[in-house]
Amino acid sequence: MSRVPRTAPLFDGWPAAPPPSSSSSSSGKTPPSPPEPPAPRAPLAQATRPQELWAAVQLPPQSALEPLAVAAQGFTPRVSLEPPDALLLELRGSVGLFGGLAALLARLQAGFTTATIALAPTPLAALAFARAGKACCITDPARLVSRLSPLPLASLRWPEEPVTRLFAMGVRTIGEALRLPRAGFAQRFGTTLLASLDRLVGRGADPRPVFAPAQRFRQRCEPSFELADTAFILRTIDPLLTQLEAFLRERQRGITALRLTLAHRALPASVCLLRLASPEHRAEVFARLLAARLESLVLPAPVRRCTLQSGPLLHYAATSEGLWQPGEHGGASSTRMPLFLERLRARLGETAVQGLALAAGHRPERLSAVAAPGLRSGQPAARARREASAPEPPWAPGTRPLWLLQAPQRLEAAADGSGYPCEGGQRLALLAGPERLETGWWDGGDITRDYYVAADADGTRLWIFRERGGAGGWFLHGRFG
Amino acid sequence: MSDAEVPTQLTQLLQHPALWRGRSVAPLATLATGFAALDAVLPGGGWPRSGLIEILTARQGLGELQLWLPALAALTRAPDPRWCAFVDPPFQLFAPAFAAAGVALDRLLVLQPPEPLWSTEQALRSGACDLVLAWAAQAPARDLRRLVLAAEQGRSAAVLFRPAQAERESSPAALRLLVQARPQGLRLRIVKSRGIARERVDLTLHA
Repeated sequence: MSRVPRTAPLFDGWPAAPPPSSSSSSSGKTPPSPPEPPAPRAPLAQATRPQELWAAVQLPPQSALEPLAVAAQGFTPRVSLEPPDALLLELRGSVGLFGGLAALLARLQAGFTTATIALAPTPLAALAFARAGKACCITDPARLVSRLSPLPLASLRWPEEPVTRLFAMGVRTIGEALRLPRAGFAQRFGTTLLASLDRLVGRGADPRPVFAPAQRFRQRCEPSFELADTAFILRTIDPLLTQLEAFLRERQRGITALRLTLAHRALPASVCLLRLASPEHRAEVFARLLAARLESLVLPAPVRRCTLQSGPLLHYAATSEGLWQPGEHGGASSTRMPLFLERLRARLGETAVQGLALAAGHRPERLSAVAAPGLRSGQPAARARREASAPEPPWAPGTRPLWLLQAPQRLEAAADGSGYPCEGGQRLALLAGPERLETGWWDGGDITRDYYVAADADGTRLWIFRERGGAGGWFLHGRFG
Repeated sequence: MSDAEVPTQLTQLLQHPALWRGRSVAPLATLATGFAALDAVLPGGGWPRSGLIEILTARQGLGELQLWLPALAALTRAPDPRWCAFVDPPFQLFAPAFAAAGVALDRLLVLQPPEPLWSTEQALRSGACDLVLAWAAQAPARDLRRLVLAAEQGRSAAVLFRPAQAERESSPAALRLLVQARPQGLRLRIVKSRGIARERVDLTLHA
């Protein structure tokens, strides 16, 4: 290794190798030097920047970087891609988690068996070691420059032209490049390469974009033969569902929408859209729901290609299985309910499964509302909230009917002229009432009614009202059932 | 024949655990109906917690649903409730009446499926429901047997409301009640139950 004196100046157009000990002051020939780029030795930046430990994973050419980056996120969240063939992992925060640097390195090597892994305090240095094929581990920034110096310049992967010129000047190693004066280097090769050298040895900050994995799952499979049977389709997409589960698990997310597109030869594709009530990530659940959905799907033609596409990723609350079986003493089956609901919704449609809720207001037609099926039980918080917030209903038991007719049904008046209502030719007996409801005048849906509890000859109770405004008359509105 | 008249040897024989007598009923998990007169005649002193129950009525709206209100209130207010599902009810359920009777509305499910019996079976088999109330005009015996098996598997109680004409058909249900309207309440006739002869009970629903 040729040693270049620290003070050796550089001259344009000089022979390839500079004289070994030329310390001649030929300042007359030097062009007017630009203001020297200050060496960013800012002690403050050094002190505030946390010490980092970067691992460069140099992969064989033509590796698929993204799946490997996802795998690398098992070691640290700070993974960045270094195309075309390397990954960078910042490992300082992970050392403690994996039980020491040696253990972490062993795990990394087990994870990337075909790669060269080098660790250094700066990303560029780690890359340079890995690209030079040296699987080393440097944790002390003070020793970085001395270890970098013997590496060939080619391991920096600079553009060809400046490297050729440096070569012509006899600069063959990183150490030799580092010893060149900064001003001359910047003038001849540009500040970009100088900054690159600064980052290499840790004199400049080198922030790296963190690799963000894809936010949607989209995979397709093309079976070698056309599928006409839903059972075959399910078996074909089974690996896709397994991939989907792995995809969601890695991100600790769930999805509430899943689209399965089944492409045909000539006809437009059949689409099977699955919507779930709560975020889900289990392949087994998706398979069961898709099976229910496919059962009711009529395929116009055999299927050539299946595409599985996820909706946006959502947080899901991980639940643990109970010790008891549902129905056993203490067996909380509430975690089972969503699955049962999902299956019914997948098969029957979303409007077929509803809960029941009270709505604010006074008009009977608007008091009862369909709602999403209730809160999940078995969660103390939800139950406590329910008990705390449930107000005492203002109706006494037995004053409101269990069934309400969709629309009030007109009742005949009794033939004897007494004014009593009749149902099925029998005069009704009024048992309680009137209860006057006069409300809704503000939005056009106003009612002015006197409600009664009536009984027919059998003793069956009915909820009827007499219209006070308009045409008047008796109406049946509910059955006590 | 009362126990006093039974000879000693026979008494010993009757205590043999392998011997089963018609009137004695195996301990049965039950739920109080909320009506003392009904509890007194039902095996185990209440509605069975699992299995199929048939309620037969001449027409809908006699008060057959009010019969279940105390049970619904007790089940939905229990410490760790499962769900109570209504499958294909003939009219719209009116939430205020359920709230007034003390039923927790957020444990109720209303299903309006095209295939009520299939949905009932799914709800029972899932083990997620305490009680499934279903209305079915037509219920072939084969489907009823499926419901019985599903109810046992899910440890749920299924209540099937059927027209009174179905009384003549055979049914695998554990309990069948014929409900008739009375001026102040209901008259129930036990068509079928475990170990109990046919009995009539008059209940007062309205004070």
